[in-house]
Amino acid sequence: MKRKAWCGSAEHPVSRRGFLGAAAAGTAFAADMTVLDGLKQQALAAELKRQQKRVILLWLAGGASQLETWDPKPGAETGGPFRAIQTTVPGLEISELLPKQSQRMRQTAVIRSLNTKIADHGGGYRLMETGRLPEPGVAFPHLGAIIARELGRIDSHVPDHVSMYTSTEGRRKGTAGFLGARYNPMFLTENMMPENIRRLESISQVDHQDRAALRDFFAEKFSRSVDSAAVASHGSAYERVRGLMASDRLFDISEEPQAMREKYGPTQFGEQCLIARRLVEAGVPFVKVARAWWDSHGQNFETHRELCADLDHCMSALMDDLGDRGLLENTLVITLGEFGRTPRINGSLGRDHFASAWSCSLTGCGIKGGAVYGKTDEKGATVVDGEIGAADLFATIFTALGIDYEKEYMLGSRPIPISDFGSSPVEDVLA
Amino acid sequence: MLRTCLPGILLVATLAVVGAVEGNTPPADPLAAVIDTAISARLQDAGVQPAETLDDERFLRRLMLDLAGRVPTLAEREAFLGDASPDKRAAWVDRLLELPDFALHLRNELDLLLLARLTSDNEWREYLLEGTRANRGWDDLFREIMLPERLREGEKGPAAFLRERVRDLDDLTNDTAVLFFGVNIGCAKCHDHPLVPDWEQQHYYGMASFFQRTYRTKKGLLAERFDGRLKFKTVVGDELEAEFMFLNGTAAYEPPVELSDERRKELDEQVRKAQREDDAEPPRPEFSPRAELVRMALDPSGPDYFSRNMVNRTWARLVGQGFVEPLDQMHSENPPSHPELLETLASDFASSGYDLKRLIRGIVLSETYARDSRLSGRREAPAADLFAVALPRPLTPRQLSASLQVATAMPERMQGLIAGEAWESERDSLENRADSFAKQIEIPGENFQVSVDEALLFTNSERVASDYLRDAGDRLVRHLKSLDGDETVATVAMQAVLSRTPTAEEQARISEYLATRSVRRLEAIQQIVWALIASPEFRFNH
Repeated sequence: MKRKAWCGSAEHPVSRRGFLGAAAAGTAFAADMTVLDGLKQQALAAELKRQQKRVILLWLAGGASQLETWDPKPGAETGGPFRAIQTTVPGLEISELLPKQSQRMRQTAVIRSLNTKIADHGGGYRLMETGRLPEPGVAFPHLGAIIARELGRIDSHVPDHVSMYTSTEGRRKGTAGFLGARYNPMFLTENMMPENIRRLESISQVDHQDRAALRDFFAEKFSRSVDSAAVASHGSAYERVRGLMASDRLFDISEEPQAMREKYGPTQFGEQCLIARRLVEAGVPFVKVARAWWDSHGQNFETHRELCADLDHCMSALMDDLGDRGLLENTLVITLGEFGRTPRINGSLGRDHFASAWSCSLTGCGIKGGAVYGKTDEKGATVVDGEIGAADLFATIFTALGIDYEKEYMLGSRPIPISDFGSSPVEDVLA
Repeated sequence: MLRTCLPGILLVATLAVVGAVEGNTPPADPLAAVIDTAISARLQDAGVQPAETLDDERFLRRLMLDLAGRVPTLAEREAFLGDASPDKRAAWVDRLLELPDFALHLRNELDLLLLARLTSDNEWREYLLEGTRANRGWDDLFREIMLPERLREGEKGPAAFLRERVRDLDDLTNDTAVLFFGVNIGCAKCHDHPLVPDWEQQHYYGMASFFQRTYRTKKGLLAERFDGRLKFKTVVGDELEAEFMFLNGTAAYEPPVELSDERRKELDEQVRKAQREDDAEPPRPEFSPRAELVRMALDPSGPDYFSRNMVNRTWARLVGQGFVEPLDQMHSENPPSHPELLETLASDFASSGYDLKRLIRGIVLSETYARDSRLSGRREAPAADLFAVALPRPLTPRQLSASLQVATAMPERMQGLIAGEAWESERDSLENRADSFAKQIEIPGENFQVSVDEALLFTNSERVASDYLRDAGDRLVRHLKSLDGDETVATVAMQAVLSRTPTAEEQARISEYLATRSVRRLEAIQQIVWALIASPEFRFNH
């Protein structure tokens, strides 16, 4: 073991503090000098810790109503027919359409003060998926791609960005933009098994393997002879194939005990949430599960009665399951759509697009459970306290995951911070 | 002006040098000679020895990918290698420039540049193809793309560029600036560019002003309103009215028009009708901001963003990196690697009537273009902007899928098609067949990476197996199966797919692969072809 750590380099004082801190905390490792090397690399240790963090985004496509979920206004003329119910967190009430969630709010923080201004599906989606307004000429990466880049591992044998969306409405994949195709999602659309992840029956396992070895033989000399990051990316894409193919079982929920499958239920959303859990458990940093279609311009209340039941059940099952497995402290569950819905109830008993005062929830990793942030007026028409925008939400998400929200990517000579300029995290919901 | 006299000086100097070195052989192309002189000068200054010139088989592959958008067939390869004439490269370049493949490929490249994947529009693609077939000037195409309403009745093709962006003024402004002028002024929308003094807010809104009156008619054509001026707020809060200002800072003068209130109402109503009704004729204003933009962009007295951009993009496409890099950052803080050469080529391009074929010919006949991409014995690559070593370039989705079709086809049958009368339409339908495959491939751009999806697609898709590896009469696999001798199989497979002869090591490896699988020779052959089409050597132009 090298001991060159005590050489007086700039990291030295930091390392020493790290070591003393750990020793003072009563860790039993102090006697083992090999640990010193680990501890001196505080940055590395933080990095490793960060890399174990995961995100599941439950995407409420079409825009769920905040009034029928996280910010009920019973009794107000805009409130609709549903009651608010008390949760396990004193003083925190949510819609009666989420009874199971009401019993689990100790792990969840609610933000009720999003004012994101853009209330069309395309614009709202782009804003809430990238955390900033689009700029022509710049392909901003989506949240999943940033997380994949920040939390994924180069040599990972599992995908680092998975996006599930099996509905036909508003199908959105999510792209890596300027981060490059490496961080594009593995996208599940028609069915729940990713495309091309399984070996064709027409080729045997052995031939498949030998063929790959032959390919590597042709590739190797060529790749070595040229100096090109693009050529190198060809190699790393093919290197990942075998690991990814081995991860196909993660998508196969028939491997789960029947009792577990029943907990999530037989709905598509439920099964996808179960897949999401299998994926994060195996180390996939980002999974998006999109559920459509919340765009309730007519019959808002019937729509929400049905969709909220599904959301309530699946989200609760997911939280319980992650909690039971000890994954919740490393997994951040985000429940979000492109915007909320108008307090005003239209002539078709619907609510229209509304981005001025709406809600989302954050659960698990890095989040202060039971916290409520922000407030809307009594009709739910405006934010009266704690207004935040999409970029602040992104800063909050990054901070919860231990990622510096001011970190910058360089696009040519232009710095682009991962959450937009001027944003800051909502400290009140952070653990 | 310096810019206009430069070509002459350089040309004379170059001709003298080339004449002295090569004896009496005239240079293959005057532009090529200019390029090589300028590139060599910088290499000498930097003390860098450039890579070797490519051998014939590798040169042909590169040339075919660049001029025809596909790899050569076995027959084309043999013909080229067998051609003993001293000026065969120039002769082949000229021949390739006249193949239907050239126009089709250049059309694809222009389509990729201008519409990428915003839409796949047959009328637009057909319009571009007519342009590349006739080698029409780039200025002509630009003019028509910017002013599609002035074209003949019923011609909707060139309108696609504006039509796909007309819903968003920023898209129109930025994409036009980036794609036609090599300038990204997006940063100057909210404030004067923080790092580049060239770009102030007034430039952004000046460019936007040229498009602000543009609207889309119900018929999908573009028209312009009669009035309206763009206003913008500066960072200190002043509200200013934008001028019709081009990138060089000069503004267009809009003659005042006196309209009675009634007439104005009438015109507004006509505009509304044109936006709503199929058969309504849009009224045509006297003053067209977009026509002003075209006039100013092509004005020979100003800095020539238009020519420099196309030269820079064409150079980058054929050599792997622009003189100005990134391609949309042409400004004073980001000087070109070879400023005089860029000016010379741009000025030649403009004075030749914006002749893309001439420009392309000049580049591909240069020594610089023909350099090897391999670093022989060198530990570190020289700076890319010295152009000492060729840069491997990922194939575009269409280059890749067309090449796959050609490489895995039954060689004789493919050659028969290419040599036949109907090749142009055959090639077109080959492209159409390749189109949906191409859509699954990433478009090359800055920081290009091969996606994992692509690796999985090649590895496990039914489609790759059935399209490129099946045992059928029109497929390479059937042809290879019919050959005697493992060495022949290895040679033909490598030549068909990678366009080169295998090394002894590769020969041995393939032979061994076949020998150990003699009971399932067909599968073994399919696996060899697969390993070749999934190799980086096939995936890149190098």
